[in-house]
Amino acid sequence: MNFESEFSLGPSSAAEETLRLVAKLPAPDGLADRVQERLRTAPRQARVFEWPGTYRYAVAMRGAAAAAIVLMVAGGGWSVYSHVQPLPAGPRMTTAAPMSSGGFSTAGAMRKPDSPNGPVLAHPVTPPAVAAAQKAQPKAVPKHAKKHSKAVPVIAQPR
Amino acid sequence: MSAALTLSWMEIAPSAVHEEDRQQATEEVLAALVEQYAPTLYRVAFSVLRNAADAEDAVQEAFLRVLRHRDNLDDVRDHRVWLIRIVWNIVLDRKRRAKTRPETDDVSDLARVLPATGLSADERAAAAEHHAQVLREVEKLPAKEREVLILSAFEELNSVEIAEVLGITESSVRSRLFRARNLMADLLQRPRSAR
Repeated sequence: MNFESEFSLGPSSAAEETLRLVAKLPAPDGLADRVQERLRTAPRQARVFEWPGTYRYAVAMRGAAAAAIVLMVAGGGWSVYSHVQPLPAGPRMTTAAPMSSGGFSTAGAMRKPDSPNGPVLAHPVTPPAVAAAQKAQPKAVPKHAKKHSKAVPVIAQPR
Repeated sequence: MSAALTLSWMEIAPSAVHEEDRQQATEEVLAALVEQYAPTLYRVAFSVLRNAADAEDAVQEAFLRVLRHRDNLDDVRDHRVWLIRIVWNIVLDRKRRAKTRPETDDVSDLARVLPATGLSADERAAAAEHHAQVLREVEKLPAKEREVLILSAFEELNSVEIAEVLGITESSVRSRLFRARNLMADLLQRPRSAR
């Protein structure tokens, strides 16, 4: 095809003609030999060594290996457990749990029980027998006796 | 029991002999593939890379990949298209990486190599300039269209095989080729009309 006629085919065809020329360029001499040589010197993929006839024992060997691993782990755990003794349980100090956020705090206030001073009763309790005796007494009481007429609170003692 | 166990351990499995035969056969197939398709793969690689050394390197890498997967050679339906696809992916990857390098004047070198028999010296120079211009414009095409246009220049590849190489449908090949031709016509007419 002439160069001028190539132009007359139109721009797109001219482009394809150029690409076709590129696609037809011959490969260099000895290319296949060089590729073969490279393939010969290339490191082969590592092959897994397989002893002939071991396939039938493979499952059993795998099971034995798994059992050995389990035994080793269990034995190691037992030896650690048997050598390390737990500490005897002693008194434990507990601290007050910190207030969770959002709650009311005591602001450090502590309750003081009033047991050292003894309990104070708001209303003295009179036993029924004493109350009945007081009712039975005459209203007229000697003057000197009035001073001692105040009822002494009697506290029922627990049995 | 023990003797039987020892014998069964020591015996040579027939599968090992078959394995060696199979390896030998595979290597023979591989050698035949190299002889038959290395030039085609080189031309495919060269059409993208436009550099002889890079193209040859890509071909060698393609066959090294085949060597690594030689056990699957029997499963391949069409070795030619399969090999072209391998080398195509290699050259695209290389070209993508080479974009970081400074551009060389490979296009002008290539234009000088292209055949221009029966032309005078002036005509040959004009042809080389024309080819260089065309190849520069091809590079401006979008990747999808450019790839189809380059592969369509190979006479040994039909649209079905181009689709297999690119991993697309045949209708996509046709539509991309149509777009590529239109874009190419625009690109090549623009500088001429500007002159």
